[in-house]
Amino acid sequence: MIENFIAGTTALFGDPFTIGIFVFGVIGGMLFGAIPGVSMLTLAAILLPFTAGLEPAQGVMLFAVIYCTGTYGGAITAILFNIPGSPENAPTAFDGYPMTQKGQSGKAVGAAVLCSAIGGVASALVMMAATEPLANWAIRNIGPPEIFALVFFGLAVASSVGARTIWKGWMSVLIGLLIATIGQDPVGGINRYNFGLTDLAAGIAFVPAILGFFAVSEIFVQAEKTASGKYKAPKVSMTFPSFLELWMHKIAVLRSIIVGFLCGILPGIGATLAAFMSYGEAVRWSKNKDEFGKGKMEGVISAETANNAATGAAMIPLLALGLPGGALTAMMVAVFQMHDLQPGPLVFMLSPDLIWIVFAAMFYANLSILLIGLLETKTILNLLKIPFQFLAPLILMLATTGAYISRGLVLDVMVMFLAGILGYLLRRSGFSIPGIVLGLILGKIGEQNFAQGMQMVHYDLATYFSRPICSILILAGVLTLGSSIYRAFATAK
Amino acid sequence: MGRLTRSHLIEAVIFALIIAIFYGFSFQFNQPIEIYRFGATAWPRVVLLLLLIATLGNLWFQHKHGSATQGTIGQSDDEADFSEPGTIPRMVAVLLTPFVFAWLLKPVGIYFSAPFFIAAIIWLFGERRWKAILLMTVLIYVIFIGLFLVILNAPLPQGNVSPFYDFSAWILTLNAKLQGL
Repeated sequence: MIENFIAGTTALFGDPFTIGIFVFGVIGGMLFGAIPGVSMLTLAAILLPFTAGLEPAQGVMLFAVIYCTGTYGGAITAILFNIPGSPENAPTAFDGYPMTQKGQSGKAVGAAVLCSAIGGVASALVMMAATEPLANWAIRNIGPPEIFALVFFGLAVASSVGARTIWKGWMSVLIGLLIATIGQDPVGGINRYNFGLTDLAAGIAFVPAILGFFAVSEIFVQAEKTASGKYKAPKVSMTFPSFLELWMHKIAVLRSIIVGFLCGILPGIGATLAAFMSYGEAVRWSKNKDEFGKGKMEGVISAETANNAATGAAMIPLLALGLPGGALTAMMVAVFQMHDLQPGPLVFMLSPDLIWIVFAAMFYANLSILLIGLLETKTILNLLKIPFQFLAPLILMLATTGAYISRGLVLDVMVMFLAGILGYLLRRSGFSIPGIVLGLILGKIGEQNFAQGMQMVHYDLATYFSRPICSILILAGVLTLGSSIYRAFATAK
Repeated sequence: MGRLTRSHLIEAVIFALIIAIFYGFSFQFNQPIEIYRFGATAWPRVVLLLLLIATLGNLWFQHKHGSATQGTIGQSDDEADFSEPGTIPRMVAVLLTPFVFAWLLKPVGIYFSAPFFIAAIIWLFGERRWKAILLMTVLIYVIFIGLFLVILNAPLPQGNVSPFYDFSAWILTLNAKLQGL
């Protein structure tokens, strides 16, 4: 492994053009992640056609680097503006934004920088050491029933966070699941709820929906506060967390790395579920549960460690099985295909150089988060000083472009603004936007894997639940649901 | 009525309508799938059933406890405040302006409509100094053009109605000349 890593490092830093691409990916991912209104997916969608002119290793490496640094960058907007750069940063906003409102933005961003780097580096190391055995284990033990069970568990966790009541939490998740049914059904390809619009046959695209629910709805909330005279400019603070403060959360970091890595390894689940589950676990293990959601640093640490820990793990199903774990890894498959390559077990035999350049690049990209992240944090915090009436049109313009670019459809811009209005109205009624988005993301995956699982067991539920991992995950989901309902009834005030 | 308010009932009626409409439309694709016993309708209908249960549960909770919060985790927003006069018309304008902009993208294109949209949003957010509006509109437009057109060469909607299309073509020609320098 060490020889391969050194060979990958030499190939990465031995060519000035490859170094240039690496640096571009690091800075581009961080910037696009940290600019409210666009995300790493916007950058990736714009760059996709250009990768045809690069070497295969350079193209895949560029996307892998953007994935690592963009996942961290999205935390900045989540903390400073309550606009998660991507869905995996949504739980970061639960405590990150209240910390900003309390004048602790520097501490929140500092914790996000450090924990993203730790989670990412740890994940990259495990990825390098264990891709092959883990892929073999996953092939044998993880099938559609297990993935469906994990989706159920994830939705049970998501239903208990972010909404005003447990009922509204479940309604939020179910709204997301309902939106996900628009478009072709994943088994028979039958059009559902497309209302005669051919563009809707492919379903609601994630990027415009996410931009609408997170970025546009936040603009509308702030507009309402401005109009009603309740808008308060967030306080800027440059104080970073002390070493002692971070050391106190070492258990949370370790737990989040494990949760993030285990979620990330499962195809189709990715970093979003990792962040939600890690946040949920942090709350479950905490003695001061009531402090979560009010600006507790452990909330930021848990979400940010886990989503970056999932980035390395997400490369395992992609590289070993050819299964993408999310939108960005799906674009990586396109990069492979542009160069007549197919990700999967053969890549390890046919292109080991490519694999190790990508592994080395991800390792160094996560280290760069620490170095560049700390340097740029003070600059980024100054974004808070820009009056919101000038920041809002900039965010809306960037979001419009981000929504349009992915598919070149004006319909997507319409969908984004519609999602923005819907998100605004639902937020003001106490619903959870992250819950809706998680339902939207996991809906199709859940349905597809449920259908495949039922076909596998010939519609026999007893066989379905006799699979140990599946039954454990379903039980965990039921317990999560049961405990949240109990807590809801016990603490209604 | 318990602690139910009119807004609680409106919320429940809206969700009931959504469930009814989606259930009604589910008959449009109620076809069997040879390889899958449950067909294309089973999943959406289960989701609708669960949504109905959750809506009734929510209504029951509101009947018992009003708008109280429960022991959920994470950040939830404070309630909307429309007590200040003029808030509602201004919010309606804020919500509609992006739609007008999106609707104009196809015929007018983004290059022509963007400055008007930017200025409108700044104004709707309460800025009344026309010099500041003008300056910030130009600055944001330049940032937008510089990032997406000059640096990233991203394909953006150009419009299909003259003279707006000609304006977009002129911007693109300028960019091509700039790239050639």
